[in-house]
Amino acid sequence: METQRPGRMSAPGITEPTEAIARARAGDADAWGELYREYAPAIFRFCRRAMPTREDAEDATMEIFMKLKGKLNQYDTTRSFSAWLYKVAANHCWDILRRRKIRQDKETEDVESVPLEHPEPSQLEKLIEQRSGEEVRKALEEMGARARMALVMRYYSDMSYDEIADALGVRRAFVGVVLLRARHELRQALEGNAALAAGGTS
Amino acid sequence: MSSIEDANVKHLDEMTCLMYLERQLDRARGLEVSAHTQECERCRTLLRALERESRLLTRAMLEDTEPLPSRLAQFQEAARRSMQWVWGLAFGLAATGVYALYTGYIQPWQLQLEQAGFSGTNLLGLLIFQSPFWKGWQPMVTLLEILALATLGGLGVMFLRRRLRRGAALALVFAGLCAAMMLPAQASATELRKGDRVTVAKDEVIHSDLYAAGGQIRIAGTIEGDLVVAGGDVEVSGRVLGDLLSASGQVRMTGQVDGSIRGYAGNITVKGKVGRNVMTFGGDVNIDRDAIIGGSLTSFSGRLSIDGHVQRDVLAMGGQANLSGNIGGSAKIRSDELNIDSTAQVGGPINFEGNKPAQVADGAKLASPVHFEKITHGPNYSNPHYYIWQLIWTSAYILFGLVLFALMPAFSMQAVNSAEERFGASAGLAVLVGFGLPIAACITCVTVVGLFVGLSTLALWYGALHFGLVVVGALIGQWLMGRTRELWPLVGRMCVGVLIVRFFTMIPHVGWVFKYGAALWGLGAISLVVFRRFQPAVAAGAPSAPNVQPLPPNTTIGPLPA
Repeated sequence: METQRPGRMSAPGITEPTEAIARARAGDADAWGELYREYAPAIFRFCRRAMPTREDAEDATMEIFMKLKGKLNQYDTTRSFSAWLYKVAANHCWDILRRRKIRQDKETEDVESVPLEHPEPSQLEKLIEQRSGEEVRKALEEMGARARMALVMRYYSDMSYDEIADALGVRRAFVGVVLLRARHELRQALEGNAALAAGGTS
Repeated sequence: MSSIEDANVKHLDEMTCLMYLERQLDRARGLEVSAHTQECERCRTLLRALERESRLLTRAMLEDTEPLPSRLAQFQEAARRSMQWVWGLAFGLAATGVYALYTGYIQPWQLQLEQAGFSGTNLLGLLIFQSPFWKGWQPMVTLLEILALATLGGLGVMFLRRRLRRGAALALVFAGLCAAMMLPAQASATELRKGDRVTVAKDEVIHSDLYAAGGQIRIAGTIEGDLVVAGGDVEVSGRVLGDLLSASGQVRMTGQVDGSIRGYAGNITVKGKVGRNVMTFGGDVNIDRDAIIGGSLTSFSGRLSIDGHVQRDVLAMGGQANLSGNIGGSAKIRSDELNIDSTAQVGGPINFEGNKPAQVADGAKLASPVHFEKITHGPNYSNPHYYIWQLIWTSAYILFGLVLFALMPAFSMQAVNSAEERFGASAGLAVLVGFGLPIAACITCVTVVGLFVGLSTLALWYGALHFGLVVVGALIGQWLMGRTRELWPLVGRMCVGVLIVRFFTMIPHVGWVFKYGAALWGLGAISLVVFRRFQPAVAAGAPSAPNVQPLPPNTTIGPLPA
């Protein structure tokens, strides 16, 4: 069974919680509870992927919903609620990561100036085919904050390039470069883990 | 970067393939890539690998659904929300500024007012109580009421902004303000006369205000209201029960003005009696020996001669000041030179700030010796008042920024982003708007029809310059504390940044560079946002045609192997 991609929850045919939002805006605590129950798992998963530890993800989830409560009036009901939710979550997580200066590791390098190696297509295909989701998740944890954040925004919550640029504070034209470099970083982490695993078993 | 060569065959690079898969290429480029991958096995493989990688990433992120931790199972309403430290900082600064303003200036004024009416020697006190805006306490109370209404309106906009459409809220407030402003105007009555020669004969009595404009204006009769004149040559030999306001080439007042005189003229001579104060801006100002001024005299002129009587204080700034008359109160004079004749009498202290000490003739009756202070250029760093004022200005900037950020959050954030990301465009517009706009506004002012437009533009430009400094402050705050998309964290960063900018402006000799540099830079960023808002809306970002782009061959494949 294919899992519903969270960022596409508002695709045509999927109902937006318009009524619950309206009631929550009017101060209905039950409506707020409904929204929380419906969206908290997805936001927690988003934070779990974006933040370095589980505790961080829990704290971030709580803070995001506290923030959302105050910002619910700013939500434009003509747009997708889940997309807006992910935007708020991404901004919040990235703010936390920046404050911790995690980005000082790889992100402060002028990534535009470092040339990328061109992958050999068949080797790349082979690498991808041999990896499992578990390995990818493990590799993600080893990546730099910005690269991980970019991948999570794009491939978990299906955010647009404009939204990613806005959240990360980079030019839109630079988002592609960030994503490509993030993939390279991921591949390196995957290869490194595989080599470690091979070394451990030999 | 779009392709790499390999044995005479050009292959697509990885970025191009990724952009193609992500549907970020324009249609023409997409077709090129599609056509190429149909023929090139290597690129087709790369495209397929990248697509699989995307799917692997998505699957890896979505699967392994950890249950929601128990502590998150129910949203804790009572979770503490840390107090917005921004507010603490902002109000702390503002309170400090207000306290400094009160203890340093308002309290001394009150003491002076209590002791001697309006006979304050404080520059600000004189300017406020004798300025063209000062027409007694009642209009001032009205003005305060209007300001209070405006503040209330501003707060109303802030609170209503989320509930009403912005245009409707603004319209409501403006309508309220207009209604409030119209109220005091109901009582006034005005007569208007214009022509080459405007004359009010000796026996003539005008029972209202008189506005007169002409080449030659002669007022010999009685005006029961205010007299407002604009002309080449003005002579008032009659009586004005109200105030005399003049903007003329030459003004002679030989009659009697019961109120105050405010004159803007090349040459002003006062020979008659003035019930209250005189405030003049002119090339040459003569207070004749027959003149009696019941209140104070404030003069900004090239040459000032006081031969008559000024019953209270004198505040004068200009090139040269000659004193041979009688001053009941104190004198505060800032000019190149001051000559005090033997016939002069001054009842209070004389503070003179000039390039050389005052020339005091023998026989002059002065209550105390002239206190001379040489004019120093630039700020006086040893004076604590300088630092108090810096604090007040910083608080004012922060409050100004708070109000504008709260009223226009999106605009403010865009301006901050523009200052950083579009530095070149901001700098270019800064030069254009910073220097070009005031020139254009001044030219507009010259044309009488455009006076309002010109003045409004100048006021906006001036306000935007100050807002520019706030914007740059916010940007510096972001550099130091990290970027944010939230309003209040940005306001906090603005507070910190403004403090830093103001601190740098205090550096001797180069402080002005920071001050004007920051203001201009911010002005450029603001102009850029305004400019963009006037542009027709276009699709943001790179062109993409997700619905028309052909799918690459052999890339859309079945589910990934487990």
